[in-house]
Amino acid sequence: MDGIHDLGGKQGYGPIEVDEAEVPFHHDWEAREWGISRSARVPGINIDWWRHCRELIMPEDYLSRPYFDSWAQTDFATYINVGIISMQEVVSGKALPGQFNINQPPPVLTPQQAIQEDHDNATRFDSEIDTSPVFSIGQQVITSRHGHDCHTRLPQYVRGRCGTVHDYNGAHIFPDLSSLGEETYQHLYTIVFEGSELWPGSEGRNDKIYLDLWESYLVVK
Amino acid sequence: MPEFDSKKVAQIHQHLHSHLPSDSALRVKALETLLVDKRLVDPRTIDAWVEAYSEEIGPKRGARVIARAWSDPDYKRRLMDNAPAAIDELGYLGTATAHLKVVENTDKIHNLVVCTLCSCYPFSILGIAPAWYKAAAYRSRVVRDPRGVLAEFGVSIEDETEVRVWDSTAELRYLVLPRRPPGTGHMNEEELAGLVTRNSMIGTDRELAGDAGSKI
Repeated sequence: MDGIHDLGGKQGYGPIEVDEAEVPFHHDWEAREWGISRSARVPGINIDWWRHCRELIMPEDYLSRPYFDSWAQTDFATYINVGIISMQEVVSGKALPGQFNINQPPPVLTPQQAIQEDHDNATRFDSEIDTSPVFSIGQQVITSRHGHDCHTRLPQYVRGRCGTVHDYNGAHIFPDLSSLGEETYQHLYTIVFEGSELWPGSEGRNDKIYLDLWESYLVVK
Repeated sequence: MPEFDSKKVAQIHQHLHSHLPSDSALRVKALETLLVDKRLVDPRTIDAWVEAYSEEIGPKRGARVIARAWSDPDYKRRLMDNAPAAIDELGYLGTATAHLKVVENTDKIHNLVVCTLCSCYPFSILGIAPAWYKAAAYRSRVVRDPRGVLAEFGVSIEDETEVRVWDSTAELRYLVLPRRPPGTGHMNEEELAGLVTRNSMIGTDRELAGDAGSKI
């Protein structure tokens, strides 16, 4: 979807806060949200659907709320969407009788067990597929001109542009369909674009932009 | 199981806009309270994850990898060829690093990492991303004006130097291998790791000092 999340190349967002203190969490609530996100998730959810649910946050909320706050809102939306949390419970601020509940207590991890679980969370997203890759390294390609209404990882700023295949990364799960619950795989390439192909006024600057793009985002030049 | 219905979720967000508490801390507290009440989460497990990412899992891991690559050419080769396996020699494989790639800075090349669509980051090796990495100002501008962004971080780049921006649009994650500072031939791996800044591994720092104290 052409949503507010697709920020590459947009202008007017002001200076970067480069002097931020180098700490993992700036507020306790950020740490709590990180811990919540690691501890539980909606059954059957996948990362692409979760990302799409974050993209669907209203633009004014997406831009005005801090990052981990938007994770909390996304978590709320995904739990409400499957009926684990109800809107009445959001309003009342506590779990209500007769609503979703689990009888078993949840697992309790120690920090050492969390570190081990983090190691075990090294999820791979690639798979063998039957077809051969259409494009080869060094070949010129053009990206699709349009996106679509659902989740996609082809940003607006590289649509309809000419790039070169820099690398081939095997076949990876295709996010546009994964976000709809369908597990399919496509060849994934790293495509390099000259800065001057993307941005007015950047001729002569030695900038190159690399993106990892799926085969169906690309056509032969 | 989710229904994967975008319209329904968009509507939920509109309701949440009206019904969630008024500030970030209260919103997260409300989520934790409900999930704990419903026995989906134990607060001690949240504590454990916070501690894991405050103490053990963070940019000091990345710095150790960089220091080893500087000290051991064979390790560097393995890291460039197969970064997930190489970082796991140190036990650092984990969340979001199963498809890690390392991109190397040279005198003629500078690398810079972003995720313009969300805020993808190699968690198990760099920990929690800085707030600026997740904010609209960086995400929007770094692909369009990377030299301007670098200048804002106090990094000046010669015109001849090629700037390579890596937009993490898939599940690949990128770690920048900065250049080893001159005059550090005598240092051991631990001392070298102390020279590596977090930002140098994202690409918003370039010239590392050879005599600094621990940065991370």
